[in-house]
Amino acid sequence: MANSGDVLGIGVSGLLAFQRSLATTSHNISNVNTAGYSRQLVDLAARAPVASGNGYIGTGVEASTVRRAYDGFLTAQVRTTTSSSSQLDNYYSLASQVDNLLADSNTGLSPTLQSFFNALQGVANDPSSLPARDVLLSSGQGLTDRFHFIDQQLADQRSSVNSRLQNTVTEINSLATALANVNDDIATALGASSQTPNDLLDQRDELLNQLAQRVSVTTVTQDNGAVNVFIGNGQSLVIGTQTNALTIANNVFDPTRSEVAYVIGSSTSIISDNLTGGTLGSALDFRRQILDTAQNALGRVATGLATTFNAQHLEGLDLNNALGANFFTVGTPDVLVNSANTGSATVAAVIASVNSLTTSDYRLQRNADSGGNANYTLTRLTDNSVVTTYTPVLPAAATGTLSTVDGLTVSWSGGTLAVGDSFLIRPTRAGAEDISVALTDSRKIAAAAPIRTTATLANTGTADISTGEVLDATNASLLTTTTLNFTSATTYQINGAGAAIAYTSGANIDLNGWRVQITGTPAAGDVFTISKNTGGVSDNRNALLLGALQSQLTLGSSSSSYQGAYSQVVADVGSLTHQADIGRKAQAGLLSQVSEARSAVAGVNLDEEAANLVRLQQAYQASAQVISIASNLFQTLLDVTRR
Amino acid sequence: MRISTTQIQQQEVNAILDKQAQLSKVQLQLSTGKRIVSPEDDPAGASQILDLNQALAITNQYTSNAETAKARLSLEESTLGDATNLLHAVRTLAVRANNASLSSQDRAAIALEVRERLNEVLSLANTKDSNGEYLFSGYQGQTQPFAATTGGTFSYSGDSGQRYLQISATRQVAVSDSGTDVFRSIPSGNGTFTTADNSANSGSGVIDSGSVTNPAAYVANNFSINFTSATTFDVVNTTTSATILSAQPYTSGNAISFNGSQVIISGVPASGDSFTVTAGATQDVFTTVQNMARVLETGGGSLAHITNVLSRTLTDVDQALNNIDGIRARTGSRLNAVESQIEINGAFSLQIQQTLSTVQDVDYTEAASRLNLQLVALQAAQQAFVKVQGLSLFNYL
Repeated sequence: MANSGDVLGIGVSGLLAFQRSLATTSHNISNVNTAGYSRQLVDLAARAPVASGNGYIGTGVEASTVRRAYDGFLTAQVRTTTSSSSQLDNYYSLASQVDNLLADSNTGLSPTLQSFFNALQGVANDPSSLPARDVLLSSGQGLTDRFHFIDQQLADQRSSVNSRLQNTVTEINSLATALANVNDDIATALGASSQTPNDLLDQRDELLNQLAQRVSVTTVTQDNGAVNVFIGNGQSLVIGTQTNALTIANNVFDPTRSEVAYVIGSSTSIISDNLTGGTLGSALDFRRQILDTAQNALGRVATGLATTFNAQHLEGLDLNNALGANFFTVGTPDVLVNSANTGSATVAAVIASVNSLTTSDYRLQRNADSGGNANYTLTRLTDNSVVTTYTPVLPAAATGTLSTVDGLTVSWSGGTLAVGDSFLIRPTRAGAEDISVALTDSRKIAAAAPIRTTATLANTGTADISTGEVLDATNASLLTTTTLNFTSATTYQINGAGAAIAYTSGANIDLNGWRVQITGTPAAGDVFTISKNTGGVSDNRNALLLGALQSQLTLGSSSSSYQGAYSQVVADVGSLTHQADIGRKAQAGLLSQVSEARSAVAGVNLDEEAANLVRLQQAYQASAQVISIASNLFQTLLDVTRR
Repeated sequence: MRISTTQIQQQEVNAILDKQAQLSKVQLQLSTGKRIVSPEDDPAGASQILDLNQALAITNQYTSNAETAKARLSLEESTLGDATNLLHAVRTLAVRANNASLSSQDRAAIALEVRERLNEVLSLANTKDSNGEYLFSGYQGQTQPFAATTGGTFSYSGDSGQRYLQISATRQVAVSDSGTDVFRSIPSGNGTFTTADNSANSGSGVIDSGSVTNPAAYVANNFSINFTSATTFDVVNTTTSATILSAQPYTSGNAISFNGSQVIISGVPASGDSFTVTAGATQDVFTTVQNMARVLETGGGSLAHITNVLSRTLTDVDQALNNIDGIRARTGSRLNAVESQIEINGAFSLQIQQTLSTVQDVDYTEAASRLNLQLVALQAAQQAFVKVQGLSLFNYL
């Protein structure tokens, strides 16, 4: 039979248990806005009953454990989704800056490109006008300034990527340290008691979440409760209470390009290419997919424009009766040396054909010798395909030239490449930075053709000579006066001497770097003269040819004009940004779904807690009433014995 | 299902933010009038806009080139018109001077007027355009093309260059003709050969300009018709020095046929008189006019010589008129071509603008109704937020 003391004990057990429950509810309420907090629940259990002859008598309630409402799967899902969502979000915000820069009518290339060619038409309309020529020079200046401006914006983005990487790596390292500390606390707590340290676990989940915002991570929980964190291809960031720091290292080819490196002991290895997700992944992707491509493509437009324009300009004659000089200064391919190279070769890359240039970078590498031959490969980095293999017989020579591919001729001299040496070749990266207007004197704009043709007035035949075109402006005899003297209706001599050459109406006559056609029926004694176009200030033939370059498909294997190649850049960056936007919205939706699912389990609902408060308060009051009853019982007993 | 309080708030805040972003986008579309505010809205469309804008700018440039071409061609056309008028005046003077009743003073007076016309033609040939470039000097726009030399001939310092302007992507139009083409390469005589008398002739024989009767038999050699008496003549091929006709009887006004061609000599030539037939030469218009002035100025020559020179002048002036008229006609047809190209360019430009508008312009009706819809949606989201946030069990404790 139970005594009144038992009732008191039962009442007290209720008071204590409900006090704990109320405390936990209050804890939940006060943490309603705490990031990563999981609501906690007090598990109540009946205390062990006391056996008696007439059955087991209950002894009250106890709070067996405080647990958190937690779903490990959902928490992990929130973490991975956070990682990709943060990556796409950041990528989008970085990409849209470039996107707007390129297509904006005030900052893009198109308006200046157009005004340059309009100015050229102005010169073609009035070739002897110095004002028109000055306008051409200044709009050429405006065009190159715009190339420089866009290139500078991209270069600024590049250095902002560097500092972004630096900051993110610092944050990751401090998060890793915090994680190691929490791991330590958790392991200690778990070692000391069988109860779980709920708030520490939440704190760790939140740290992992913050880490995931910066880079994708994978986690493995150890037996002692500590969590090991891995990034990239399984590089350990946190092992129990130990951390391995990330650091920033220079690219082996390009010291101005920061890379993320992993430090083990005294060695660092670059792991940029293996990192995905988060702000770190987005910065690396942005640099690789957008900055590199856009800067290369812009450089290709600049190099293509300058090279093709120069080539035509060289075939003209300026107001000083001199052959045209280069109108633009053209950039040359960058060749970057791997800092680990041991060979002494100097590598040079020359653009053989701007039309065939791609927007890719290339890597020249000497691979292991095989079968008595050295093995050199040139790899195109956008698709990682080996475009040229060169296997000369050993011993390795101090000079060598790879066959031209993608418009690029790579050669080395001054020493040999050691096995494993590599060089990074960027054909067009600096194109937009290096282009500038080489001409300063507007009289030197070569609007005229260098030669003119004349049919002698006394000719009695009916043949006409074409105005002529230049095949090779470097021919030393180009400007030498030449006559074609017809000895009969079907034969002619050059300069009235030498062998008679058969004449066909309309056939090309190529000599001294020029080409003319004579059509019709000449008579014996007819003379046609090809001479230097001295004083040809009103001649606009070369200006027309220069103007025609605007719509010629001179780039991308004859697939695009200057403007077309630029539009391609805009479209490419636009699609990447568009994709990122779609991806970012999808990930945001997914994140909100999984967060919802997680918070359905773990989140605090104030109404629920309010209801709990009411419920627990009532239970507490009832337990207090039990104590009062117990006291009354005891009093009754005392009253009885007092009589 | 439980929903956490934070989640409810976050969802509603997100909904409001989302609606605001959409609203701001429509607002931007409406205020700029553009459907594509940044390229990521429609990358393909954005790149198409760049290309279309370039096509539009190029077409407009072609139109402006065509206007320049039109101005130049009109100037050339009117200059050539002036030259034609002058030559007609010269022709009239030649007809007036070719009159036996005129005294040598009368002729000298006409000669003065011819000299004036000559100077006018020369100055027309040296016309400059508004940029100070000579119209008829070929490529050498800053070189005066024509000048009278002390030797009495006329020099040409230009070349046969012709300037073209780009008036469409595939079309260039010539906007100039060289001085050679206009004033120099004028076939003299009948176009195949030229006839002339010997200025020392003492008879009254007058030769016409002749004609080719059998082109297949014609050889471009020079001939001389030599009168051995007033009634007989020989024809000598001076190129080969062969006498091809010997002691032919002469009848005034009868055709003399040789070498697939014929000339008519009328009047009474004297023994020892000769006439030449020269194959295919050209003569510039200034020399033609000057020859006429000279023969009228000297006054002393025989009437027959004056008649011979004047009749040759008439032929040559007609040839010059033919030539200039031909070039005027070409200039006119180029002007027509330029005009029609301007229209084509205008139509093309309009078409591009329409395409551009379809690609880049916002549909105002659609955007305005979207704006309304999004305003309502935002208001709804905001009101829902306030209402839902007002609900809490704690209010009743």
